[in-house]
Amino acid sequence: MALDTPLMVFIAGLVIASVLALQARSKNGEDGTKAMIHSGLAFSVIGLMSSGWTYAIHNSLLDSGESSMCASEGLVQCGSVIGDPEWNNLFGVPWGITGLLSFSLLFFLFLSLRMDMHAKWAESFTSYSLLAGLAGLPFVAFLIFVELTQVEGAPHICPFCTVAHLSLIGFLAAAYALRGRKQSGMWA
Amino acid sequence: MARRRKVAAPKGRDDDVRLMAALVTFGVTSMILMAVMLLAPVVKVGPSEGELAPDFSAQAYSGGEWGDFRLSDLFNKSWTPGGDGDWIVVQYIDTDCPYCWSEGEMMSQLHSQWNQKVTFVTIVVELGIQGHDSSREEVEAFRDKTPYDGCITNSNCADRPGNPHSWTYIDDLNAKTSGDWELPGTPFAALLQPDGIVAWNPQQSGNHPEGEEMEGALLRLVGGS
Repeated sequence: MALDTPLMVFIAGLVIASVLALQARSKNGEDGTKAMIHSGLAFSVIGLMSSGWTYAIHNSLLDSGESSMCASEGLVQCGSVIGDPEWNNLFGVPWGITGLLSFSLLFFLFLSLRMDMHAKWAESFTSYSLLAGLAGLPFVAFLIFVELTQVEGAPHICPFCTVAHLSLIGFLAAAYALRGRKQSGMWA
Repeated sequence: MARRRKVAAPKGRDDDVRLMAALVTFGVTSMILMAVMLLAPVVKVGPSEGELAPDFSAQAYSGGEWGDFRLSDLFNKSWTPGGDGDWIVVQYIDTDCPYCWSEGEMMSQLHSQWNQKVTFVTIVVELGIQGHDSSREEVEAFRDKTPYDGCITNSNCADRPGNPHSWTYIDDLNAKTSGDWELPGTPFAALLQPDGIVAWNPQQSGNHPEGEEMEGALLRLVGGS
């Protein structure tokens, strides 16, 4: 599958978020904490956008049986993954919507932290972020398992789904680092 | 004597920013959702008339071996009203349901009359009623009208009214599709346009001429056989 523009944008976003996280690790105090929050925010925005994109693919596959937004043949494709009626939803809710709602929660937690790093609730929000990220991991593992073994003609890899999975893992790393900073007194 | 001043830890803002963060999050998510709607509008999926029929993949029997089947493979998405394309009858039965047993004859007649314009699909479920135990062997025997004790609980499937059915039977004994189809009971049959949109659902009798059944719907919607 050719690297189309949206996929390149998402990959660039992941790279930028990762660079922010790496820079944050080498900074002490408030600057480092802010950079780590920015990294988590970037991961959650990429997660939101890629989830939205997979939902758009879901709708276009339903509407016309094919989608110009992603390849429908080969190993790396969306048609057999997002188009599989048995696996493309969680209790009837498309995975794209599930992703949108989940990343909205992560975005909200980090945005709140960014807007007031010294609030009384900052420590609990740092923990909630880590827990919410961890809660998403089993779903990511399940979806990768589905892609590789369960969908029609498996294995397949859905690139936009993978972007969303990587966004969650990146967010989780940022949340883990933030909690470490809070506990070790490096927050500010 | 100089007094030592304790360095105060940074304090949070006086106002609670969480409401503002929630509003910003709502705004960002809404913008993404709106962009999605513009790119690819939501398609309503369900068994009601005007909705896209719920898709499913399952094992199917058309005589011989069981094989893969996907409902949407029958859809012709480029179909336009009045154009060519096979309409689809989706029928739900339970091989132990007496009404489904009797309907076997009507389905044979409908198929012989309409098979040039309509693709028939029968989905076999197992209702949660005592004695309604089914199996693939029973499904095959019900379809083919071959000897097998167990149809309508303890009858021989070879005695089913109507002819052997030549169309595809789907194994949904684990009831994977019936939820999406909001199955009210068996037998149940709906008529789909060639593009997969539900054109006739007997549960929506208010939309149809009074007392219309499947044959009337076929005549009205598909045209003369």
